[in-house]
Amino acid sequence: MISDAAPRAKARGARWPRLTVRWAVAAAVALGAPGLVTLLAFTSVRTVVPGLLYTVAIILATAAGGRIGGLAAVAASAYPFFHFFASRYDRNQINGEGATALAVFVLAAVFGSEVLRRERSARERAERVVRESASALDAAARLQHVADALATARTPQEVLDAVLTEGVRAAEARGGLIATLSEDGQWLEVVASRGYDMQYIEPFRRFPVSGNFPLSEAVRTREGVFVRSEAERDERYPELAGRSQPGHGLVCVPLVGERGAIGGLVFSFPTDQEFPPERRALKVALGRQAAIALERAWFSAAEQALRDRLSFLDEATALLTSSLDLQRTLESLASLAVERLADWCAIDVLVEETGEIEGLVVAHPDPERKKWAEEVRARTRPTRIDDDFDLTARVMRTGEPEFLRQVPHELIDEAARRDPEAAAALEHISIRSAIMLPLRAGERTFGALTLIAEHREFDNADFALGQQLSARAAIAVENARLYREAERRAEAALALAYVGDGVVLLDEDGRVRFWNSAAAAITGVRESDVTGRVPVEVLPAWEELTRLAELADAETPERARPVTVPIETAAGDRWVAVTGVAFDEGVVYALRDVSDEQAFERARSDFVATASHELRTPLAAVYGAARTLRRTDIEIPAEQRDRFLEIIVSETERLTAIVSQILLAGQLEEGCVDVSTSATDLRPLAESALDSARLRAPEGVELRLEQNGGRAVALADEDKLRQVLVNLLDNAIKYSPDGGDVSVELTGGAGRVRLTVRDGGLGIPRGEQERIFEKFYRLDPALTRGVGGSGLGLFISRELVSRMGGSLTVRSEPGEGAAFVVDLPAA
Amino acid sequence: MPLVLLVDDERAIRTICRVNLEADGLSVAEAKDGAEALEEIRRKQPSLVLLDVMMPGIDGWGVAEQLAADAETRDIPVVFLSARASHEDRVHAMRLGAVGYIVKPFDPLELAGTVREVLERIARGEREQLNRDLAEPG
Repeated sequence: MISDAAPRAKARGARWPRLTVRWAVAAAVALGAPGLVTLLAFTSVRTVVPGLLYTVAIILATAAGGRIGGLAAVAASAYPFFHFFASRYDRNQINGEGATALAVFVLAAVFGSEVLRRERSARERAERVVRESASALDAAARLQHVADALATARTPQEVLDAVLTEGVRAAEARGGLIATLSEDGQWLEVVASRGYDMQYIEPFRRFPVSGNFPLSEAVRTREGVFVRSEAERDERYPELAGRSQPGHGLVCVPLVGERGAIGGLVFSFPTDQEFPPERRALKVALGRQAAIALERAWFSAAEQALRDRLSFLDEATALLTSSLDLQRTLESLASLAVERLADWCAIDVLVEETGEIEGLVVAHPDPERKKWAEEVRARTRPTRIDDDFDLTARVMRTGEPEFLRQVPHELIDEAARRDPEAAAALEHISIRSAIMLPLRAGERTFGALTLIAEHREFDNADFALGQQLSARAAIAVENARLYREAERRAEAALALAYVGDGVVLLDEDGRVRFWNSAAAAITGVRESDVTGRVPVEVLPAWEELTRLAELADAETPERARPVTVPIETAAGDRWVAVTGVAFDEGVVYALRDVSDEQAFERARSDFVATASHELRTPLAAVYGAARTLRRTDIEIPAEQRDRFLEIIVSETERLTAIVSQILLAGQLEEGCVDVSTSATDLRPLAESALDSARLRAPEGVELRLEQNGGRAVALADEDKLRQVLVNLLDNAIKYSPDGGDVSVELTGGAGRVRLTVRDGGLGIPRGEQERIFEKFYRLDPALTRGVGGSGLGLFISRELVSRMGGSLTVRSEPGEGAAFVVDLPAA
Repeated sequence: MPLVLLVDDERAIRTICRVNLEADGLSVAEAKDGAEALEEIRRKQPSLVLLDVMMPGIDGWGVAEQLAADAETRDIPVVFLSARASHEDRVHAMRLGAVGYIVKPFDPLELAGTVREVLERIARGEREQLNRDLAEPG
């Protein structure tokens, strides 16, 4: 229905002048024509002619004034005809001829008027049809133009542009404006305009459908609103008075799609307008075209957006499943999110042990901003899961997403107030819209994915997409976690399999659940023999092993203190250090074979005892001699005095030698001993050492030199070699308690020179022939009781010979003496 | 005059001890190893034996064992004179029935006094106490 009730009076006023002119013409013809004919009476013409002329006049009057004009002309013609031209009738009565004439006049009038009327109607109809056809043709042409333009528009923006160019042109308007209906149907929002001054658009950028505005009315009523002038607009819509752009005619048509109103279209005109039906129809048709095109474009855009989203999800899924490197995967995912969905993306996880939220990843398309954000996050104090204000914490606590289409300024201000670091950061970024999504594994929320848009608002489709993304991300994170856990377990199993310490895991019932290969090696019990059983069933020594071990608790495993216990095992006697930690599900023991350490410790203790003993004896002699010499209460003969002085000197030398040996052993271990080799004739060296040894040798020990082969000239450090030879001779003498021969044999040859010190003393058991070269090692005291020595001599000798490029070995049988062989390169 | 048998493979030690003991009025006999010591003990029945531990052949422990096992020699008091200074050695000496343990280096001027004190305490019936005192720590 066209809404134009108010202007009817004015419309009537516009028609009145036309009717008045027409009736004046008709009256003039109706009266004037017969009058003219009457004048013929004065020319005395016959009755027929005037009758015909009156008839013509009546027809003319009918043509001018229709039936009424014709009848008026009949009246104006009848009297003068009867009076002037019909002489056979009586003025006082109508005879047949008169009646016939009158009937002819009336028939002429009626018939003529009917014919003329029909003719005029037909003509008017034809004219109207022509007019309507032209108008329709014009409207169709305009609509077609617009349709052509809309057909090529693919995107919503192209549709809007087409409507506001071709549509405005088709409507013969000055400008156009399109507003779309909000999702809740409560608001109209201007999305495009042309020909409007923006200062008038801004205040009405978004206005309510319920408001008293022409476009609101059009959308509400689903019918066009046609406003002829600004005055009419201000009268009908007072809220626009003084605020809207000054103008003239205005048309508002609803945009109604298949599912209802989607918005409205406004045309404004440069002049006041009339809106006849055909113009209204055109505007309404334009609105319909625009609605269809816009809906189609939205649908197409939505379809494309859906395709884009699916493609994005596919890409995201491929990314998430391509790698188990969690950090890299999440960074790639966040980068993808900021390419397609948001301006910022952050992924945070909960550290359950501390209750703190750790930032894993942050992404932005600009690498510089990304880096800046990472630095800020590193500086900002971590949020805790129980923080009531922080939305990320809330999402993690509740497991429910947060969707803020428009982030309130109060929220940002409060965040800035709470954390100065955050305040500084917030000055550099803009947060318009935010989505926070939980990352869940089953019932457990372990993290959150945050999306931020700086300049646009997220919509429901974005939220749905974000949910899909977070679900996939959560699965990927969980998979990576499980994989990492599996890897860790595998690594732990590998470590346990190869660790040098034995690891034994007992369950609550004391049965073996795990028994690694080191435990098997230490105890001599195989894993297969003991798994599922109580250890003492298979290893009786287990009780002794674990009896003394105090179990630490799982909270403080570092407090476990090892206990060293000697045990008998199938693999032999062992010293085993054991620690134990008890936890809810059982006990774990760590076993370490410290037999070697014990032996070393024993050897070291023996060395300390021996060295102490070796030092104490000469000290006792030096001290005793000095004290005795200082006695003033007795007379000490000169010979005895010299003897005591000699004791002091020789025992001091002995002390020095022992200390030197100890120091030399240490230096050899640290690699601080330099050996300088040169051509050394071994014969004079051997003779000198033998001479010296003879002075110390007890009775019964015979020392001699033998030489075989050519000259024995070796590449050696003479001083160090002398030291070695003296040591070997001392040993030979010491280990010949019953006396016997001690010989030095020299064997020269091409390339190598050999020096052998041979004795016929106690000998060395085969099992000890390598061990005697170890530091501190001394032969079993049961065999060599009372034989002194630091246990360093052979260690030092072998080291020195080795540094000269030679070797020191021994051949011996128990009870049959020993032969120590020094092999050196020939000079 | 009490006879003290000095048993030590180190000649210097024997000399120093002899000079000081004789200067303090004790008579001294010497043995340079365990076998010789046992022979001298049986032959001369000394009042006291000053016995080194680390000697070739039969060491001091062996000599003490044999003395304790022989009724003829079991009552001859033994004072160990040794460079071995651990508590375990003192306990070992105690178990072998020794009545004294002197650690080298020692003051030879006090040797005679130590010998006399031990003999006097034994004469007073304090032999067992002397033996037990060896196991005291420190």
